[in-house]
Amino acid sequence: MFEFDYVKAKSLPDAAALIAANPEAKLLAGGMTLIPTLKQRLARPSHLIDVGGLPELRGIEMKDGRLAIGAAMQHHEVATSTVVKKAIPALAYLAGHIGDPQVRNRGTLGGSVANNDPVADYPAAVLALDSMVVTNKREIAAADFFQGMFATALEEGEIIVRLLFAVPRRAAYEKFPHPASGYAMTAVFVAETAAGVRVAVTGAGPGVFRWSDAENVLAKKLSPAALDGLKVDPNDMNEDIHATREYRANLVKVMAQRAVEKLLATK
Amino acid sequence: MTKIELTVNGTKHTCEVEDRTLLVDLLRDQLGLTGTHVGCDTSQCGCCTVHVNGRAIKSCTLLAVQATGADVVTIEGMSRGGKLHPVQQAFTDCHGLQCGFCTPGMIMAVAALLKDNPHPSEAEIHHGLEGNLCRCTGYINIVKAVKRSAEAMK
Amino acid sequence: MSEIHAANRREDLRLITGRGRYTADWSLPGQLHACFLRSDRAHAEIVSIDARPALARPGVVAVFTGADAVAAGYTQFPNLMSFTGRGGTTILKPERPVLAAGKVRYVGETVAMVVAESALAAQDALDAIEIEYKDLPVAVTVEDALAAAGPQLHANVPGNLCFEYETGNAAAVDQAFATAAHVSRLKVVTSRVAPNPMEPRACLVSYDAAGDGYDIYTCSQGIVMLRRQFSVLTGVPEEKLRFHLHDVGGSFGQRSAVYPEYAAQMIAAKKLGRPVKWVSSRSEGFMSDSHGRGIAIAGELALDRDGRFLAARYQFDCDMGAYLTPTGPVSHLRNPATLMTGVYRIPALYGSFRVVLTNTVPVAAYRGAGRPDIAYAVERLVDHAASELNIERTELRRRNFIPPDAFPYKTPTMGVYEQSDFAGCLDKALEDADWAGFAKRRTAAAKRGKLRGIGLSTIIEASGAGMYPKDQVAIEFDAQGKLTVYTVSLSSGQGHETTFAAIVAQTLGVPAEAVTLRESVQGKDLTGNHTGGSRSLVGAGSVCKLAAQKLIEHAKPLAAEELELEPSQVDYADGAFRERGGDKMIALMKLAQKHAAKIPHPLNVTAEASVGSTWPNGCHIAEVEIDPATGVTQIMSYVAVDDSGNVINHSIVEGQVHGGVVQGAGQIFGEQVIYDRDSGQLLTGSFSDYSMPRAGVLRDIHVGDHPLPSKLNALGAKGVGESGCTASLSTFANAMTDALRPLGVPHLDMPFTPSKVWHAIQNAKAK
Repeated sequence: MFEFDYVKAKSLPDAAALIAANPEAKLLAGGMTLIPTLKQRLARPSHLIDVGGLPELRGIEMKDGRLAIGAAMQHHEVATSTVVKKAIPALAYLAGHIGDPQVRNRGTLGGSVANNDPVADYPAAVLALDSMVVTNKREIAAADFFQGMFATALEEGEIIVRLLFAVPRRAAYEKFPHPASGYAMTAVFVAETAAGVRVAVTGAGPGVFRWSDAENVLAKKLSPAALDGLKVDPNDMNEDIHATREYRANLVKVMAQRAVEKLLATK
Repeated sequence: MTKIELTVNGTKHTCEVEDRTLLVDLLRDQLGLTGTHVGCDTSQCGCCTVHVNGRAIKSCTLLAVQATGADVVTIEGMSRGGKLHPVQQAFTDCHGLQCGFCTPGMIMAVAALLKDNPHPSEAEIHHGLEGNLCRCTGYINIVKAVKRSAEAMK
Repeated sequence: MSEIHAANRREDLRLITGRGRYTADWSLPGQLHACFLRSDRAHAEIVSIDARPALARPGVVAVFTGADAVAAGYTQFPNLMSFTGRGGTTILKPERPVLAAGKVRYVGETVAMVVAESALAAQDALDAIEIEYKDLPVAVTVEDALAAAGPQLHANVPGNLCFEYETGNAAAVDQAFATAAHVSRLKVVTSRVAPNPMEPRACLVSYDAAGDGYDIYTCSQGIVMLRRQFSVLTGVPEEKLRFHLHDVGGSFGQRSAVYPEYAAQMIAAKKLGRPVKWVSSRSEGFMSDSHGRGIAIAGELALDRDGRFLAARYQFDCDMGAYLTPTGPVSHLRNPATLMTGVYRIPALYGSFRVVLTNTVPVAAYRGAGRPDIAYAVERLVDHAASELNIERTELRRRNFIPPDAFPYKTPTMGVYEQSDFAGCLDKALEDADWAGFAKRRTAAAKRGKLRGIGLSTIIEASGAGMYPKDQVAIEFDAQGKLTVYTVSLSSGQGHETTFAAIVAQTLGVPAEAVTLRESVQGKDLTGNHTGGSRSLVGAGSVCKLAAQKLIEHAKPLAAEELELEPSQVDYADGAFRERGGDKMIALMKLAQKHAAKIPHPLNVTAEASVGSTWPNGCHIAEVEIDPATGVTQIMSYVAVDDSGNVINHSIVEGQVHGGVVQGAGQIFGEQVIYDRDSGQLLTGSFSDYSMPRAGVLRDIHVGDHPLPSKLNALGAKGVGESGCTASLSTFANAMTDALRPLGVPHLDMPFTPSKVWHAIQNAKAK
């Protein structure tokens, strides 16, 4: 790693001030993405501002009928939370399948969402559930938040504080893990929300996306078979040494069908 | 240089570190606890697994400064008073190690897994070991060691 | 020799408590740290290199480049190719300066070495080195390297073809093919893989100016061969090279050689007068640790009307990477040449080999070292022939097994097989695997929407013939009369401290705890083979038994003197010398203690033996289930019935089979080193892209044995270290082929990744 100065933020305003004063600084929470990046010397921040311990970013609770999860909540905390398991069990399941156990003991919701890795898990749930990303400056709807590969609506120095999830009637997450990295090669989050059936796909394309063809079809009939006739355009899919775009297009469909099957099996 | 204080295997230490020093480097180079190993640089192999405040963490992906004030347990701290931890005993009883390089991290991960889930199914064991690679054993005897540990720790 | 099932190994205690001593755990006072600048391109001329900006960086003490390597004369790596090729030619050996001089030939090649006060300071300074390259065309495949218009990697290796070799009788084979009732043909490729032992490579070198010698700590597979290789490369006499070899975190063939980094460190240690330490990162390792396999094999089998094998012909293209490693060429030629007939009686056999250089990481022996490759080619071809002729797979094999009365069996190429019972292993495996019940399981799987397949392999290996003509073992007693056994093998997980010590203890009739094994200890004047080629138990291990027997004989006169008897009146049993027909006795260890003050200890002995190849063999059977929707395969069961001769420790043998089979599964189902064909960039440079097997890939392996004791060593053992790999590649591939054949999928090569399998199924459907 290149050298940097580490600062533990004392409060959210303190964090905001630090990052405003140091434009080359980066926020640090779990570090599961940032530290490997630094070890590869792919980034050279001047400062790391540790916000992982800030009480403002912690906590899981029901708030006005929505599930509020602090940005610094670790994946294992979300996965084992009785509140999350009761409100959105599919979200607990998703968190419990990010990375591996050691990663889940450090990685955070806010870190994952702010990074918007096209193969990360959380963005699929955040998008499917029409969540609200609450920062220290404003609230951003999920649909506006994710803007492509590693790109989000966050402005310079803006800090995610918590996410608000509307509670769906039912939801399910089906993930095809990348055989080497454990990220999502393709994963689908399906939810019956107040606004209708939502199908969000991660891992397959340049960024998380909603599969509107599937949503339309599932709105009419919520069954895996309903997706049979759909085709996913391989040209929209990622291709790499592990999987062709045609294969990913196939996975989108298969994972979506299995997610629907899982959803139907939940009470 | 930053001064940090942390407890490692029950002993309080005050150390001077660069901000970029990894916890694993502090443990190995400054504290001489070479039982924790570095096996990769993409946070996947798990050889560096230790317990920080009771949770299994990859010490290659944590800055030493982030561990200030923490209670750290390494493989050297798993046996007490010359008596092996049940997980350590199970590994040798089940031939769950060959070259031994992944073993400290594996033992730390297994101990943490069994704390969270004292009676894991085989599928849960596989899931719980996703963060640890082994090249020698093929994992079969490691899984047996986990089952044996769970029995022993009932 | 009685068997031991005990799992607890002597080495376990230190390893499970974090007190193992691997190379990176060693430090010397005043040490400096090295970091290597590696080529970021596959083929280029080094136009200029300026290290001065790096020298100016904080903490940097020195920077070394190719000029230093050339000045030191460190440019010729040892090569173990011991036979001549076509037309009496010898292998063309490219020069390989330990730091690249003039040219780089693969991504990852060492170009410069920064030595600094800390590893971080050295790493920080790397990007300050100014280097200008002129890119050259790239050839990362054998095809591109052999193409007429392909780039020339080395001036002294025209067309990148460094060796051609043939074995067998081409004329006899041609004649058999001409009149055969049927010819089956199959081209296979064993993918290039990365051995990836969990311990990254490391080396610590200290130079002693007074004695003009070096102390070297590194990962190794045996002191004798390593010392010789270092000496050949550097010209430093062996007696000036002192090695300190302790715990090794896995080797699998990747550790047996001297590497350029270690020699570069020697240059630095000598020049700077301080020890120099280097620890590789995993990413560095992917582009600098030797790779494995990478052989393309075109096989043809001629059969008569009754399915009897008349002749077989194989063409091998061996990708060796940009430079020759000591073990790569010889193992990828000798082992396939020796085992080309497999377990079958084939009257006429011919094999031709091309050894080719490409702009990739050099290839060396990797667990099996050519044996898995030839087994793969043979067993896939036999299955293929069975399918084409509509003869059941086990029946076709039975018809062609070398029968029990044909042993010792001189193969048409090289090697004489010892007594084997191929049908016996097959019968046992078929029963253990419930081969007969497979059809039902397939139908049940189909109901669940899964494609189930079963595959088998019947294979034989030649365990390593040995680079050195004999293995020596010393037994010595110390000042307390405690017994230590010294070998020049070096375990990296195989459990020698337990098994070899137990062999000596059992032979002597003393408790196991009374014997300590130490391997590859500096200063012991012993010769012998490294640990590799599945020969340590067979070689060093059997000589341990001989040494113990020799000790008894050697100690008898002293015991007799002690008991005031004639030696003819003294017998040895259960750890003690006893008066025949009387009560007098003295325990061996007591006798040793009594004389402990003498130098040398009068009971010290050295034993030796020449032990060549043994012939482990067996039958492995795997069942798989493929999910056609995703192409994902689940391994449902695996049965391994091996003839490893006399088994000394079942637990250790099982562990070796487990590990080897799972490495085979890794290769079959997803491991692969991939280079971009145009740029030569390494695309699988970390565990994020290289799919290592994880827990659960194989739930259990039924390890059975069908032992026929070997007559070729004092233990009656046959090597087992590589059997898991050697048999599993073909076993898994045959199972996959069996699952996919009903869909009309033709032969598919490894790795059977989900994407590849899914595409194969789709393509078959489309037809």
